[in-house]
Amino acid sequence: MAMSLMIVDDSVTMRKIIMRTIKMSGLEFEKTEEAGNGAEAISKLNVEPVDIILCDVNMPEMGGLEMVKKIRKDLPSCKKTKIVMVSTESSQELIDGVISDGANGFITKPFTPEKFQEELAPLMN
Amino acid sequence: MIDQVCLNELLLESAKEVFETMIFMDVDRCSDAENDIEGDVLLGSITFMGDLEGCLAICCGDDCAKTISANMLGLGPDDEVGEDDISDAIGEVANIVMGSLKARLLKQIGNLEVSIPSVVSGRKLQNSLGEGSSKILVQINIEDTHVAELSLLYRETNN
Repeated sequence: MAMSLMIVDDSVTMRKIIMRTIKMSGLEFEKTEEAGNGAEAISKLNVEPVDIILCDVNMPEMGGLEMVKKIRKDLPSCKKTKIVMVSTESSQELIDGVISDGANGFITKPFTPEKFQEELAPLMN
Repeated sequence: MIDQVCLNELLLESAKEVFETMIFMDVDRCSDAENDIEGDVLLGSITFMGDLEGCLAICCGDDCAKTISANMLGLGPDDEVGEDDISDAIGEVANIVMGSLKARLLKQIGNLEVSIPSVVSGRKLQNSLGEGSSKILVQINIEDTHVAELSLLYRETNN
């Protein structure tokens, strides 16, 4: 099944690095979208939902934690969207909190193509 | 009290992990005691607060920064790397090394609040934290081609 992906990170370079790592992992997406923060992502998701979102935690304007809560509360069209956080933050408290708020996974930086395969492949089936 | 030798090793381990997994380059501690980085340099830094406060920085020459950026982005030797991409990539290296170090220090010092990274360019750049601070300096050899300098300025707080 053709899947769509959105990468949300305030660093353009990090978005490119994530895209490169996904290609190296062998995972394929028919369509990829990008956003620079949570607010921009929600604005784009209102127009067209995606299957999977990869999202940074610390971003200006609207961070990843707030974005997850808003998507789960205010965007019924994204009910089936899987959200995986990608961050240097690695405390168990943070990970547990965002999973409880509705995220489906957490990848810590530094990451590898294998890590993306391991986290995303089950969500794509 | 954080042990400086231990912190030095953890900083090197963190840098190795980041360079090997995300930049696809091997790094090791420089064998020479002093390797001045000549010419124009980029200094990517990130500050942190908590039981420890301070700043982690990576300093490298223009050529080194360009190679790191190209590798992170998966570009070939003939591809152009934009100035913004180079600057952004060096900031990300500081950010991810800090994340890796923070994970290693979690059991010893608890959580640290980390800022958004910043990058400046110039010559003979140095960061400073004032009196009462300690400095860890690790020079790394990247693929036997480039030298970069990682520094950790820190001060233990009573928080």
